[in-house]
Amino acid sequence: MRRPWVMAIALGAMLAATAGCGSSDDSDTGSSANPSAEKFVIYSARDKAVTDYVVEQFTSKNPEYKGKVEVLNMGAQEVLERVRAEKANPQASVWWGGTQQGLATAATENLLEAWQPSFAGKMDARYKDAQGRWHGEILLPEVIMYNNKALSPEEAPKDWDDLVDPKWKDKIIIRDVAASGTMRSIYSSMIQRLSADGSNPQPGYDWLRKLDTNTVEYAANPADLYLKMSREQGVLSAWNLQDVLLQADKKMPFGYVMPASGAPVLVDGVAAVKGGNTAAAQKFLEFLFDDSLRATLAKDYFQIPAVEISEKPEWLANLGLKPMDVDWDVIGKNETAWINHWNAEIKDKG
Amino acid sequence: MTVRSLPAPGWLTGLGRRLSGGASSRWFPYLLVLPLVLVLWGYVVQPMFATFAESVSADGTENYLQFLNSSGVARQSLLTSLFISAGSVLLCGTVGVSMAFLLKRFTFRGRRLLEAFILVPAALPPLIGAVSFQLLYSNIGILPRGLQALFGTDKPVLAFDGIAGVLVVHTFTMYPFFYLAAAAALAGMDPSVEEAAYNLGAGRVRVWRTVMLPMLTPALVSASLLVFMTSLASYTAPLLFNVSQTMTMQIYINRTNGDLPMASAYASVLGIVSIIFLLSMRWYEGRRSYQSQSKGISATRREINNPIGRWLAPLASVLATIVLLAPVATIALVAFSENRSWTTQVLPTTYTLDNFVTIFSDPKAFQPILNSVQMSLIAVVGCVGIGVLIAYAVRRLRFVGRGLLDVAVMIAWALPGTVVAINLISAFSTGNAFSLGQVLVGTFWILPLAYFVRFLPIVFRSSSAALALIDPSLEEAARNLGASWARAFGSVTLRLMLPGVLAGGLLAFVHGVGEFVASVLIYTSSTVPISVAINNRMYSFELGTAAAYGMLQVLLIFVVMWFSGRLESSRTATRKAVQWTN
Repeated sequence: MRRPWVMAIALGAMLAATAGCGSSDDSDTGSSANPSAEKFVIYSARDKAVTDYVVEQFTSKNPEYKGKVEVLNMGAQEVLERVRAEKANPQASVWWGGTQQGLATAATENLLEAWQPSFAGKMDARYKDAQGRWHGEILLPEVIMYNNKALSPEEAPKDWDDLVDPKWKDKIIIRDVAASGTMRSIYSSMIQRLSADGSNPQPGYDWLRKLDTNTVEYAANPADLYLKMSREQGVLSAWNLQDVLLQADKKMPFGYVMPASGAPVLVDGVAAVKGGNTAAAQKFLEFLFDDSLRATLAKDYFQIPAVEISEKPEWLANLGLKPMDVDWDVIGKNETAWINHWNAEIKDKG
Repeated sequence: MTVRSLPAPGWLTGLGRRLSGGASSRWFPYLLVLPLVLVLWGYVVQPMFATFAESVSADGTENYLQFLNSSGVARQSLLTSLFISAGSVLLCGTVGVSMAFLLKRFTFRGRRLLEAFILVPAALPPLIGAVSFQLLYSNIGILPRGLQALFGTDKPVLAFDGIAGVLVVHTFTMYPFFYLAAAAALAGMDPSVEEAAYNLGAGRVRVWRTVMLPMLTPALVSASLLVFMTSLASYTAPLLFNVSQTMTMQIYINRTNGDLPMASAYASVLGIVSIIFLLSMRWYEGRRSYQSQSKGISATRREINNPIGRWLAPLASVLATIVLLAPVATIALVAFSENRSWTTQVLPTTYTLDNFVTIFSDPKAFQPILNSVQMSLIAVVGCVGIGVLIAYAVRRLRFVGRGLLDVAVMIAWALPGTVVAINLISAFSTGNAFSLGQVLVGTFWILPLAYFVRFLPIVFRSSSAALALIDPSLEEAARNLGASWARAFGSVTLRLMLPGVLAGGLLAFVHGVGEFVASVLIYTSSTVPISVAINNRMYSFELGTAAAYGMLQVLLIFVVMWFSGRLESSRTATRKAVQWTN
C-alpha cells in the first residue's frame, strides 16, 4: 500500500515543478524592465526560415523584444480561420503572409486594424487596402514546379494546359487545396482565366477535373508535398515561386517553369490583427518594410517586394516574370464557392 | 493529490449533516452528486448543444439535409467513415483474435518474445503512429521502396495509399483491443467445456461454432464497438493518407473554408453516431449471456507438434516482432537523420545527433515537452478528483438519475477528439458561467480542459473497476465504528481504490501526452504540446526534428506505462489484502 501513496506525492511534486516552470515564465514577462515591450504573437504563412531570420533581426535591433516574439507557422487559410475563431479573444497581433483575398475577407469581417504606415505612400494602390487594413508585402508568382532530377527542363511542361495532358497521368502531386492560400489562388485563377467575369465556372471546373485525373495524390501540407515530390511519387506540381526557390536553395531537387501563358501573381500581404498588441504589431510591420531588410529578403529568400527596391538581386533581374492577367476582385467574390465546389464535386473524382 | 480533493466532500457532508441529519440522509447523495452533474453538464453536455446551435444558426436544417443528398460529399463522407470503421473492425478482429489464440492456447519457441512486444502498437500516440506508417508503408515508404529496389520494378511494390493505408494504420494500432478482450475471455474459459464437446464427437468446426464462438462473443462484440468508435474518430490516418472524404477530415476542411455551421453539422452528426454506438455497446454489455459456470481451472497450452509448424513458429514470431517494432524503429531512424537529406533513397543516408541537440539546447524547442507534461498533469488531477467521485456515486449511492450520470461520463469517451475541440470552441468562444465569464478560446486553460473532458472516462472506468472489487461492508464497518463519511471514504475506500485510480490516472496522462486531434484545433503559441510541435516541424519540412520529438514522446509514454505496469503488481497485492480482510 505504501508505494501508491509515494507515487501520488511524486506526481503532485512533478505537477508543482512543471507548474512552477510555467509561472516563472509568466513572472519573467511581468517583471521586465521595459513595460512597453509586451509579448506579441505572429501568425505566419511564410517559410520558417524567413520568419526565424526576420524575428532575429527584429529582436537584435529592438532588444526590448528579445524572447517576446512568438511565431506560429501555418497555411494562409488556417491563419484566417484562427483569427476568425479567436475574434472574442485575439491571440495574434501580426498576420504575416496571407493572400489578398483572405486579407480582404478578414478586413470586411472587421478582424483587422486600420492604420497608415510610413511605407504605404510608396506602395501601388493595387497592392494595399484603401482603408489601410492590410498591405501587400511581396508578389508571389504561381508557377509550375518539377523535380529536376526526374525531368530535364526540356521535358518539363511549358504551360498550364500541358499539365492536363494525359501523358502526365499520376505524375502530379498537389498540396491539398482548401487550407492553402497558394493553391486556392492557383485553382481560382485557372477558373477565372476561362471565365473573365466568373459567371460561368464550368470550363474551369472541367479543366480542374482533368488536372485531378493526372493528380496521383494530394499532400497534407507543404512538407508532405516536398517529401512526395523529392521521393518522386509525383514529379510535377503547381506552387509559388518563392517556396520552390527556397527549397531548391536547400538542395531539394526542384526547378520551376514560368508558364508560357503567364503566372498568376498573387499579392501576399500583412496586417495588424484587431485587439492584439497593436503598438508592437505596427513596430514590427514598419521594421518588415525596412529597405535593407527588403533587399536581403529579396536576395537570400527570393521575395519579390511589393514596394520597389533600389537594387534588384540577380535572380530577380533574370526572372522574366510574365504575369497572367487575373482579376483578383472576381476571384475574391467567388473563391469560397469555387473551392467548395471543387472540394465536394471534383477532388478525387476525375 | 487525491488527498487534496477530499476537503470538498468533507465540507459538503458538514453542510449535509446540518441540513438533514448526516451522510446517511437520503439527501446526501444529491449533495455529493450536484457538483459532479454541474461539471459534466458544463464541460461535456452543454458544449455539445452549443455546437448543435451553431450548426443550425445560419440556415436551419439545410446543413443536415446535405447528409440525405445521395451525390453530396456529406453523405459520401459519412459512408466512407462507416466503411473504414467496419473494415477496421474486420481486420483488427482477425489479427487480434488469432494472435490471442496463438499466444494463449499454444506454446512454441519465440512465443515469449512475441508476447513481450504484442502491445507496443497500442502505445503509439496517434500522430507519430500515423507518420511512422506513412514513412513505412505508403508510396514513399521504406518497405515499398525497398522492394522496388530489390525487384528492380519501376513502381514501389506493395504500397498502401488512401483507404488501404488508413486501414493498415487502424489494424496495427487497434488490434490490441481485440487481443486483450479475446485473451481475457480465453483465460477465463473452462477448457473442460471444449474437451467435453470433442469427447461427444463434435468436429473442430462444430466446436468452434457452437462452443468457442458463443463464449467469445461478448468479448468480441465489445471490442468491435470499441474499434468501430475509435476508427470513426480517427483523424491523423485519413489526414496523412489523404482520404479527405471522412467525417473528421470534413470537419477540418469546412472550418478552414470558413463554413463554421457546416463544420458544426459534421461534428454533431459524428457525435450522434458515436453516442449511438456507445449506447448499443452498453446495452449489449448489460445482456451478455454466455458464461462458464465452473471456476478455478486455467486453460492449458498445446504444443505445436507438426514439424513444419515447429520450424515455422520461431521464424514467424521473429518476423511478427519485427513488424511490431518497425514503426518505433522507423521513427528512431528518422530522428537521427539529417533534415532534408532523405529524398529518393530507400533509407536516410546521413545521420546526426543535431535533432536531439536542438530540442534539448533550445529552451523554445524544449517548451512543448514541458507544456504537454504540465497540461496533462493538470487534466489528470481534475480527472482523478472528479472521476473517483463519479465512480463512487454511480457504484455506491442510490439516487434518481444514476444511469444518466453514468452515460454522461461515457459520452465524453464516445465523442471524437475533433468533436470535443469543436464543442469547446463553440461553448467557450464567449464567456459563460462555466468559464467564470471568461473567454477560454485562445487561453492556456482550454487545452487542459479538453484533455480533462477526453480522459475523464478513463479514470472513471478504472476507478469504477477498482471499486467493484472492494466490499462495501468495509466502509460500512468504518461508519459503524463512528467515522464520518469523509473519513471512512478517505481512509478505507479511497485507499483500497488507489492503485486502480492511479493506473487510470497514468493512462490518462499517457493519452494526454500523445494527444493531437483536439490540441491542433485549440492550441496557442504559448501552449504548443508535443504532437503539435511534431506537426509544425513537419510543416516546416524538418522531418528529423519532428521524429526526434516523436521519439521523446514515445519514450515518455513507455516510461509511464512501465511505471504503471509496476503498479499493476501492487494492485494484485491489494486484491489479496481485500480477500484477506473478507
